[in-house]
Amino acid sequence: MAPQPFLWTDALPAAVIEVEGLTKVYGGSRGVKALDNVTFQVPPKSVFGFLGPNGAGKTTTIRILGTVLEPTAGTIRIDGRDLRKESLKVKERLGLMPDEVLYYPTLTGLQHLVYYASFYGIRRSEARKRGRDLLEQVGLADALDKKVKAYSHGMRKRLSLAQCLLNDPDVMIMDEPASGLDPQGMRYYRDHIRWLAQQGKTIFLSSHMLYEVEQLCERVGIIDRGKIVAVDTIANLSARLSAGAPVVLHVTATGITEAALQAVAAIHGVTGVQPTPMGVDVTTQPGSDASAEVSRALVFAGAQLRALTTDQRSLEDLFLTLTKGGDA
Amino acid sequence: MKLPGFLRGMPQVAWQEFLVNLKSVRLIIMGLLSALLIVGGAYGFTTLFSSGGGFGGLPPVVAWGHQAYASNGSHVAVVWVSDPYGAPVAGRSVEFTNRSPTGGEVALGTIPTDANGFARLDVGNSDYVSATVRAGTFTVGTGVVFYPPFVNFTTASLQGDFKRHGRSDGLALHVMDLRGNPAAANVSVNGTLTGSVNGYGYLLVDLPVEQSNVTVEVAGEAETFPTYVPGDSNGAPFTSGPDFVLVVIASLSFLVISIFAIVLSFDAVSKERVQGTMDLLLSRPTSRTGILLGKFLGAFGAVALPVTLVNLAGVGVITAVSGKGPTGSFAAAFVGVSLLLIAFYVLMQLIFSTFAKTSGTAVLFGVLVWLLFNILYTIVVAVVAGAVFYYDAAGYFRFTQVAGLGNPTSICSMLVSLAAPASLQGISGTSLEPAIPGAAAVVWFVGLLALALWTFHRKAGE
Repeated sequence: MAPQPFLWTDALPAAVIEVEGLTKVYGGSRGVKALDNVTFQVPPKSVFGFLGPNGAGKTTTIRILGTVLEPTAGTIRIDGRDLRKESLKVKERLGLMPDEVLYYPTLTGLQHLVYYASFYGIRRSEARKRGRDLLEQVGLADALDKKVKAYSHGMRKRLSLAQCLLNDPDVMIMDEPASGLDPQGMRYYRDHIRWLAQQGKTIFLSSHMLYEVEQLCERVGIIDRGKIVAVDTIANLSARLSAGAPVVLHVTATGITEAALQAVAAIHGVTGVQPTPMGVDVTTQPGSDASAEVSRALVFAGAQLRALTTDQRSLEDLFLTLTKGGDA
Repeated sequence: MKLPGFLRGMPQVAWQEFLVNLKSVRLIIMGLLSALLIVGGAYGFTTLFSSGGGFGGLPPVVAWGHQAYASNGSHVAVVWVSDPYGAPVAGRSVEFTNRSPTGGEVALGTIPTDANGFARLDVGNSDYVSATVRAGTFTVGTGVVFYPPFVNFTTASLQGDFKRHGRSDGLALHVMDLRGNPAAANVSVNGTLTGSVNGYGYLLVDLPVEQSNVTVEVAGEAETFPTYVPGDSNGAPFTSGPDFVLVVIASLSFLVISIFAIVLSFDAVSKERVQGTMDLLLSRPTSRTGILLGKFLGAFGAVALPVTLVNLAGVGVITAVSGKGPTGSFAAAFVGVSLLLIAFYVLMQLIFSTFAKTSGTAVLFGVLVWLLFNILYTIVVAVVAGAVFYYDAAGYFRFTQVAGLGNPTSICSMLVSLAAPASLQGISGTSLEPAIPGAAAVVWFVGLLALALWTFHRKAGE
C-alpha cells in the first residue's frame, strides 16, 4: 500500500481515545459502508477536531464513540478500556453531546438533569444541587424550572452541555456543539470548550465550523467517504500540504522601479515577479526562502517597503484539498 | 443495591416511562374511555341480563288484545296500547288483519288509538284477528281469538322484571268486559286480594317466587290461572347472572385494553429516537437490556394500573347491581389475564416501535397490530381453513380449535373462559386442555420478550 502522507502512523504516547480499524456497515453485509477501517488516536487533555463533508461518517463515528451504535468491526479503547468489553465502566467517565436533541418536552431542564444523574448513582438531593449548579454554569439559571418545550435552540444546546458535564467526565464527545447558534453563542461555546480543555478534559469535537476548529484544536482528523484522509496537528498538515508547492511572497511597497523589479528577478530561486496595485508578488521555487534577499534588493533599489508576507495554507485549504472540495 | 450490569438503567427508565405516561393526555383519555365502556357496560349489561328469565327486558309498548261482541253479535277486536306500566299510548295506528283460515290473510283496516289508548274494529264473523302497532322503531303485535267465553270478561297479561331487580316477579293484567270496555275487576294472588284494576282495566301485581294462582273476579264471576316465578337456582346461567355479564365485559374489555396498551406504547422507543434522547440514554452507564426492560415495565405499569382499577370497578358494579358478585376465581382470572394481554401488546409495540423511524410509522404499526389480532386474524383463519380443509370437515374443525393459539388476544380469551364456571364455558370456551393455552401464553410472552430484546439490541441506536 502506498504511504499516505497525511496520516500520522506512529502511536501517540498515552492516547486517551484509540480507534483502530473501525468499520460500520448499515443494513447487513450488503448494506452501506459508512466507515471503512478508520484509525486515529486522540492525546489526553486536548481538543481533537474531527472534520469531514456531509455524509462522510462524522456522526457515525461520534455515535459509536458515544456507545450509541455498535461497530461492525474494529476496536476502540477509551482511557485504556475496550469500549465493547467494558462499556459500562467507559460510560461512567464519558460525556456525550449529540448534535440535535429535542429532549422530553414536558420535563423541565432541572428534571432532565436529575433523571440523567440517576444513571450514575447520584442521590436525588445531590443531583438537584449539581443540576442547579450546572444550569447556572451554562447560563440557564432562570430557565431551570421551565419545561423544555419552551426552550429555544440555543437554550437546548446549553442544556446539552450541562447534561454532558453531569458526571464530570474525563472524555467528552461533542457533535457540532455550536451549530445554529448566534455569534454570542458560538463565542460562548468556544470559550467554554477551551476552559474545559484547560481543566484537563479530553474533547473529541466534530464541527462544520473550520474557524472554530482552527481556534480550538491543535490536532485534527479529516474523514471523507468513510475513510480517514488526514490525522495530525494543523501545523504539520499545513506544512505537508505546502511541501512541493511554489512559495509566493506578497510585497507591499511604494517607489518600485523597473530596476528594482529586475534586481528581484535576478535573485537565486525567484521564478516570477508580478507587479500588483499594492506592490509586487514574487514567486520562488518550492522550499526556498528568498524573503530576506527580496526585501534587501527592493530597499537598495529605492523602494519604500511596508510589508512582506507569505501564503499560509489555511485549514480550509487543507480541508478542501483533502476532501476534493466537499462541503464541511 | 447495585443491579447486575445487564440490568443497569432498568429502574430509572421504568420509573420515568411510568411517570411520563401517567401524566400523559393519552392515558387520561384512554382511562376515561375504558371506565365508560367497562364500568358503564358492567352496569348496563347487569341490568339487561340479570333478570331470571334471561333476555327479559320489558317491551317499550304493549298491545293488549281482547275479544268483544257488538249488540248484534258481530265480533269486535279490541286493542289497548300502553307502556308496560299502564300508561296509555294515544294516536298510534293499529293494523288489523284477518288470520281466520276461512277468510284468508286480509287487511281489515287501520284504526288509531283514542285518547285512552284503545282501538276497536268490528271484524264481522272473523274468528282470529292479529293487530300490530308501531311505536318508534318497535313493532308489537297481539292476536285476538274469538272463542265462546267462559266468563263475562277477558284477561291479557304480561309477566316480567317490572322492578328491574333481576327477577320476573311482576304481573301486569288488563281486564275488559265482553262489550269491549274496561272491567271493574278485583285480583287475588293465592287467595289474597291484592288490588283492583284502574279505569283502563290495568293492574300490576307482585308475585311470590315459585308457583302461584292468580284469580281475577268481575261481577261475581272469577277466572284463575297459574303463574311461575323462577328462583335463583332455576335461572338460565348461560344467558344471565353476574358470570355471564362478566363474559360480555371481558370481551369488551379485551378490545379496549389492547387499544389502551397500543396507544400508550406505540412510540415508546421511536419517540426517544425522534427526540434524540435515545442517544443520551444509550451513552449513560446503562445496558440495552436494562433500557428495554425499563421501557416495558414502565409502559406496562402505566396501562396496568388504570386498567386494573377499571376492571375491579366493573366487577364491583356487577356485584352492586345484581346483588351478588361473579364467581371469585373467574373474576380473578379476568383481572389477571387482562394484565397478560397488556404485556403482550406492550411487547409487540416495543418491537415495532424499535423499527419505526418516525412517529407516523409507529402509529401505523400500532393500528396494524390491533387490526391483525382483533379483526384480520379471524378472517385469515377462516380463509386458510376454508382453502386447506375444504373437503375435510373434521380437519377444518380441529384447525379452527387450535388456530386461536396464534393470536394473543384469543389465548387470553381462552384463559379467562377456562376459569369460568362450567355452565358458561360453552359460550366462549375452548375444547383444548387448560395446559395448552397456558403453555401458548408462556411461549408468546417469552418469544415476544426475546424478540423485543434482540430487536432493541440491534436497532436501538440506528
